[in-house]
Amino acid sequence: MTYKEARQYLLSEAKKRGLEAEILASESRELTLESFEGKLIQMTQATQGGIGVRVVVGGKTGYASTEERSPKALDWVLKEAKENAELQTKTGGFIPAGQAMGNQDLIGEGLSASLEEKAAKAIELEKHLRQDERTKQVPMTRYSENETELSLSSTRGAEGGYRNGYTYLMSSLIMAQGENIKQHFDFQLEKEFHALEPGRTALRMLEDTSRLLGAKPLKTGRYTAYIEPKAFAQLMGIFFFMISGKTVMEGKSRLADKLGQKIASELVTIIDDPLLKDGKANRPFDSEGVPAQTLRVIENGVLKSFLHNSETARALNQANTGHASRSYSSTLGVAPSNFYLQPGQGITLREGIIITELMGVHAGANPISGDISVQAFGLKVEGGEVVCAVDNFALSSNLLDMLMNVRALGDSLEWSPFAGMTGSPMVEVSDVSFGGV
Amino acid sequence: MLNQETVYKVIDYAMRNGADFAELYVERWRRRAMRLIDAEVREATSGIELGAGLRLFYGLNVVYAYTNDLSEAALLELAQTLTRLKASQGQVDAKGGGGLDFRKEIYTGLHAPQTDFESKDKRFRLERLLEVDAGARIAPEIKQVESRLLEWEQDVLVANSQGVWAEDKRVRSRAVGLAIASDSQGTQTGSDSPGLSVGLELFELYPPQEIGRKAAEQALTNLRAKKVPAGTMPVVIGNAFGGVIFHEALGHLLETTSVAKKASVLTDKLGEEVASPTVTYIDDGTTRHGWGSSEYDDEGMRTERTVLIEKGILKSYMVDKLGSLQTGYAATGSGRRQDYTFAPTSRMRNTFIAPGDTPKEKLFEGIEYGLYAKSMGGGQVKPGSGEYNFGVTEGYMIRNGKIEESVRGAMLVGKGPDSIKKIVAVSSDLATAPGMCGSLSGSIPTEVGQPHLLISEIVVGGEA
Repeated sequence: MTYKEARQYLLSEAKKRGLEAEILASESRELTLESFEGKLIQMTQATQGGIGVRVVVGGKTGYASTEERSPKALDWVLKEAKENAELQTKTGGFIPAGQAMGNQDLIGEGLSASLEEKAAKAIELEKHLRQDERTKQVPMTRYSENETELSLSSTRGAEGGYRNGYTYLMSSLIMAQGENIKQHFDFQLEKEFHALEPGRTALRMLEDTSRLLGAKPLKTGRYTAYIEPKAFAQLMGIFFFMISGKTVMEGKSRLADKLGQKIASELVTIIDDPLLKDGKANRPFDSEGVPAQTLRVIENGVLKSFLHNSETARALNQANTGHASRSYSSTLGVAPSNFYLQPGQGITLREGIIITELMGVHAGANPISGDISVQAFGLKVEGGEVVCAVDNFALSSNLLDMLMNVRALGDSLEWSPFAGMTGSPMVEVSDVSFGGV
Repeated sequence: MLNQETVYKVIDYAMRNGADFAELYVERWRRRAMRLIDAEVREATSGIELGAGLRLFYGLNVVYAYTNDLSEAALLELAQTLTRLKASQGQVDAKGGGGLDFRKEIYTGLHAPQTDFESKDKRFRLERLLEVDAGARIAPEIKQVESRLLEWEQDVLVANSQGVWAEDKRVRSRAVGLAIASDSQGTQTGSDSPGLSVGLELFELYPPQEIGRKAAEQALTNLRAKKVPAGTMPVVIGNAFGGVIFHEALGHLLETTSVAKKASVLTDKLGEEVASPTVTYIDDGTTRHGWGSSEYDDEGMRTERTVLIEKGILKSYMVDKLGSLQTGYAATGSGRRQDYTFAPTSRMRNTFIAPGDTPKEKLFEGIEYGLYAKSMGGGQVKPGSGEYNFGVTEGYMIRNGKIEESVRGAMLVGKGPDSIKKIVAVSSDLATAPGMCGSLSGSIPTEVGQPHLLISEIVVGGEA
């Protein structure tokens, strides 16, 4: 059975069984080429996909999915989804009314190039990284591309799909200076093959790794933190949890009753924009078929909106912002697209620590309380000048306190592929705790 | 899952077209998950995953492809795609095929469940999760309880051009209790999440009320906790999930995935003293019903018990097939992968610090000022520099040898080889705990473990 046939089978069987159903299918293609010591040593090529249903019966919602497209597997999916729904005590679940959305192509010929040209990008990146005499090893360098075709249909009239994709270069670099060793991992993600620039990516990686060589221990104390865009983007991922309508609906957000209130410095404006010009996480509609729209989450420090899908919006009696997210095997959630902190007027370095990277954020941040205590790497600034690199320390604060203590924002935006695409300028935060020696 | 003739044809095709080694991996998963908040089912899901991965070696070069389509035509097409992909990179000499004779091995039920998933209905599961919820209602400050059950059933077949044909069945269950405690001062959380290679008898081994109670007690402890003071100090690390520190600081550095490329700080150190003599570190894939156990690894090799470090001396790495070819070390049954969408690499299974002989109380004696990290969260490591961290989910200050007030927000930060040498004493109360480990071949179930132990000094992140 093809995916289209499987979708049709599930729709008609669901109707026969008296179920409201929404069916989401995706098919993806992947190519990964890995270079080591100037040669292509590993290649992966794949096609993969699956199909998942969300059913509603008597106001109760259940889910099931399969990668096997036999009638037997599809029947199992409907049976399991119905049983899963019937476990719920709450009613009020629904499949939103949908419409014909057509099919869109968001990637076109962007990934077209020969295998040789693609391999050459990875080989070139590795070659550049090895040119610096401090490079000790380049354990992994990869070219990778992914293309996904997504389709959605429901018993309530939703019908449509889109094809999207991206390509990236990724590498892990180890540099040494005497006994001091530093490892760094980075990538360049693009929608167009020809936008990949191994030379520039290598230069940035060499600079980002080598500037930490010879790092000294940091004295425990309170410092001003100048957090670089990539490091702050990691914290934005924690912040996203707090403004997700799902978190709010489930009573896990400290911001639940703060709509319309000041929760951050007036310098802070945070936006989610699925329609951003040249955005890398654009989408025409969300996983429930709701058309994409730009959303201001925080404006000049004031919390304006949470991110919602149909379920969270109805539960909280707020407007649906079109941020539903679901893969064929997952349940309905909420996700950002191009999610960013608007840049400011620029930062003048005085005294403090430039934070170049955070590590262990999944372990050291509690998105419910907002408390964070994470490993950090950085550069010490005295009298407006970088004096040395520092390592083996941790940064501790509460994310909401940090947002209140933002003193200045850098004037340019950088994007990182965390939780969709997350953008941030450099962020200056006063009075942060640092634990070291 | 596939008949022998089809498997033979695919492997034979690859070998005839110049591969030095061909391996077909086929699997079928059935997963279920149920999540309750405050005794109401929020989400229940069920899923089937089905796929095959074909891996070919040409010398030390690897090509890998995977698909959901298990028809013979699709699998042969996969083999054709890979051999073409390889041929596009230069001349490959054709070889003779045939003569492949599989030595069939099938799982013996070493980790088979007592109460399999089909023997109980969904109502049974719901009732157990309601008990988790009820067990957590120990104080008015407990404002929310989330309870979850995950059940995985995986059938695996691995066959290769060296005649390996291994069929394995892996069944795993994990229950999670998460409690949120709030008062006028703030909001804190606590959790407990036991998991094993068992069926629904998990709830007999770990009574659901206890899971809830433990989560709630931890949330209340954290609610009453003060912010931990930052600085460098001695730390006693609790048993069970405390072992995550060595998973990060040591385990990942001993996988041939980084050792073979000289990307680990512990490369070429076999026979050398890499830890204090109190440390014996073992990775055991055979532990009965261990969360990270299986009868065969994902390359079809029988799993084994591998002593990595004995009394401080490095004895072995964790070696997969490709790692073995690259380094010359014998494979240790450590080839693992999340699923068919990943080629296998060397990974940990159930990894733990062996019991020592220092009584637990003795670890605290003589500590004037330090931290007792009773319970741990996850962590992260850079194998190339050995720098790592891990979070403390339940901690207490130690003063003059006594465990005093609870503290929250501690993050331990260190450099692997350095802090391993600072383990000065190990007690005898070994316990293990399940976790999910993410690396090159995806996210896989691994167990960590250790007895209580003392690190003479380590950086503690907290309030300055």
